[in-house]
Amino acid sequence: MDGRGQGAGVSYASMKTGLLIISVLLTTSSVLAHHSNAAFDGDKVVVLKGTVTEWKWTNPHVWILLSVDDGKGGKVDWAIEGRTPGQLLRAGWSRSILKAGDVITVDFSPAKDGTRTGLLTRVRLADGTVLGQAPPAQ
Amino acid sequence: MCVLPTSTALLRAQGNHPDFTGVYYPINPFGNVVRRAPAPPPAAGTRDGELPPPRPVLVLDGREGRPDNAPKLTPDYLAKWEVIRKSRMAGSPEYDPNVRCVSGGMPNMMSMTYGMEIQQTKDRITIYGELNDVYRRIYLDGRKASPKVLDDPTFAGYSTGHWEGNTLVVDTVAIREDALFDTFSPHSDQFTVRERIRFASPGVLEDQITSMDPKALVEPFHSVRTYRKAAPPNDELREFSCAEGLGSTK
Repeated sequence: MDGRGQGAGVSYASMKTGLLIISVLLTTSSVLAHHSNAAFDGDKVVVLKGTVTEWKWTNPHVWILLSVDDGKGGKVDWAIEGRTPGQLLRAGWSRSILKAGDVITVDFSPAKDGTRTGLLTRVRLADGTVLGQAPPAQ
Repeated sequence: MCVLPTSTALLRAQGNHPDFTGVYYPINPFGNVVRRAPAPPPAAGTRDGELPPPRPVLVLDGREGRPDNAPKLTPDYLAKWEVIRKSRMAGSPEYDPNVRCVSGGMPNMMSMTYGMEIQQTKDRITIYGELNDVYRRIYLDGRKASPKVLDDPTFAGYSTGHWEGNTLVVDTVAIREDALFDTFSPHSDQFTVRERIRFASPGVLEDQITSMDPKALVEPFHSVRTYRKAAPPNDELREFSCAEGLGSTK
């Protein structure tokens, strides 16, 4: 990791209000903002299995939007932020490595404010392949 | 894997000076910062069942206080740092250049976290950094910073260099006062940087950095960054285009 901003807008005020509408906004708009990784709890790693609904290969960070069983017969949406396309290319990823409908397992550090966002540490594909984020020469 | 320059490449047609041309990745991207992260991530292609323990993200926002090896700030600037620290811990973009997609400034930009590409000619060295698409130019033709340059500080500042044997000595002035350096430390308008850049070993570039500021620093601050020269296919950097993700909505 680089200490650069990875995910911030999620820290703004949503938990103070606790309103569903705010949560919805956070998972649809600010989820793609650029922000400090201080918004995430770097001491925790959460593992979730879900279905990719959208894969965004964008700077400054990629995003995996994921539909996850909520354990009550429904689904909830998660948005997981990864590193930059440049870094991931060098770590063995590609623009086409994920697509909507893929079932994957993601490890990530969750947002401090409880929104369903996180900072990616690795992905396991359905065939067991693990995608790390290690750049070269470090 | 890295390219090991031959002796002729090291001294290629640059007036018998080393040729730093190439793409490099940092060996110690965090400089003097001590990492908390316990284990490296798995390489791409690792099979399930071979996973190491989960690796937390690294958060550098000052929550652990000011490290002993951080620059020694004068009281006024230490007070400024406390303001910056609180802002960063709160997740504010105000003092986080990366969040705002702007250059980290000299010397922070030399972290070159996402790699750098050096192009060297007899009279000039240009360094491109992938993180935030930053550039700096080091003039080797004897020119000095003009009053006009000194009156117009930039993130990268204005760099001039000369060779001392196989070491390139670079002085940088006219660095923006609002750029932060190691451990997001603030500095004044009198901040300058001297670097000594050399091949520490074949394919390993070393940048010894001394930051000086009579107003903000109790003493000059020394740090060392090292980089490994890349081999194909990793010798191509990618466009960063940070603003692509700024303010975007789904």
